[in-house]
Amino acid sequence: MVRRLLYLNGIAILCVVLFHTTSWGLTAMFAWTPRYLPVSEPVFDQTGSLPYYWIRIIEQVIAIAVPTFLFVSGYFVAFTTGHRDNLAWGQIWGRIKSLLMPYTIWSVLIWLSWFLLLGDISSFRGYVTDFLTGNTTITFYYVPLLIQYYVLSPLIIRFARDKWAILLTITGLFQLILQIGIMLELMYGLDNIPKIMGWFAQMPKWVFLARLFWFVLGMVVGFHITQFKQFLSRFKWMFFNIAVVCIPFGVLEWEAIFHFSGRDYLNMRETIIDSIYTMAFIFAFLGFTDSPLLWYSRICDLGAKSFGIYITHITVMDYVAKAIYRFVPWLLGVQILFQPIILLVGLGAPLVLMYAVEKTSMRKYYSYLFG
Amino acid sequence: MDKKAILSDYIKNEIIRNRNFALDENDDLVGAGILDSLRILQLVAFIEKTFGIGVPDEAVIYDNFHSLTAIVSYLDGFSKDSR
Repeated sequence: MVRRLLYLNGIAILCVVLFHTTSWGLTAMFAWTPRYLPVSEPVFDQTGSLPYYWIRIIEQVIAIAVPTFLFVSGYFVAFTTGHRDNLAWGQIWGRIKSLLMPYTIWSVLIWLSWFLLLGDISSFRGYVTDFLTGNTTITFYYVPLLIQYYVLSPLIIRFARDKWAILLTITGLFQLILQIGIMLELMYGLDNIPKIMGWFAQMPKWVFLARLFWFVLGMVVGFHITQFKQFLSRFKWMFFNIAVVCIPFGVLEWEAIFHFSGRDYLNMRETIIDSIYTMAFIFAFLGFTDSPLLWYSRICDLGAKSFGIYITHITVMDYVAKAIYRFVPWLLGVQILFQPIILLVGLGAPLVLMYAVEKTSMRKYYSYLFG
Repeated sequence: MDKKAILSDYIKNEIIRNRNFALDENDDLVGAGILDSLRILQLVAFIEKTFGIGVPDEAVIYDNFHSLTAIVSYLDGFSKDSR
């Protein structure tokens, strides 16, 4: 089961890149219509079209991404603790350092690129806020989030070992309430729901409460692997079937929320069915321990490079999408070309960069750049 | 080449990516940030492929992987148990 975690990480990073590809697809489909259609404002006529539903299905299938990363990270906190009472702070700091270095370097490089290419400059306070909250790009929130989990690990470990059922129940309930808040806010608007639910709905992604359940789940499985292996093996087909069924129901759930909201467009948020799907997917994947895995070496290789890909892909996609917007706008209206290009650069550029660094004298700086 | 040398070479070349890194056999690889969740999995895959053994899930624990000495000790114990 454990060796499948690297493969699972590879799947997760593919899902992340695909998700951001589809996000650009939706931007081109709606917000950027004036660049390739004879309209002066964004139009939403393509809602309900075949490319639109293709994107929605992909978004549903790939909903596992970040929760999976957190699950694997939580699992390895359990590994690192071993039979000792708790993690040593030196180990926690070692892990945080390995995240902070690439995160800091790429944050600074991105700010520099904005200044040099776009003339954008922020205040010192703005840069500090962006750094602490992961607001430099839409993906960077993950690093402050994970750092919080590592810092909180000594506290979580005490419960994950001996009171894991209570811990999972509390964090699971919190996750459920958070997602109910999100759904209510999407459907009714912030002003029309109870303040407490609005607070949940507005919780920033970088705050540790937002996805604590997944990190805790990984840690609990790590500490109780023998019992979980038996459980997962016994119910693997049930989890598989739940995961499969969640895909169409997740799409329907989102469409229902969208239509109920009465808005032209909604940014994707994690829903209750997304969480059920993710848990069923992870459990089914780990339950089928003896099943052969497609392209095992290649996807494990992606899994090993997942942090480097995660930290670099979004900026590449950002610049390429905007270059297409500026110089080749007709391509925005041809999703079957636009999305593969974005996907190719999103995955390919980080891999090429990592390969180039690895093969040169810059090799010793690899971990500073890519973790 | 003995197990320790093979593992040391792999860790220096593929994980640390610095052939000249001064890796001591008793260094805490996890505490020093050399082995994280992904690199441990990479290392397990390398061990299984290179030494032709299957590392059970329950054996992928800190006690067996925290240093070169610990890993070699685990592999030696594994080899003895299989005889």
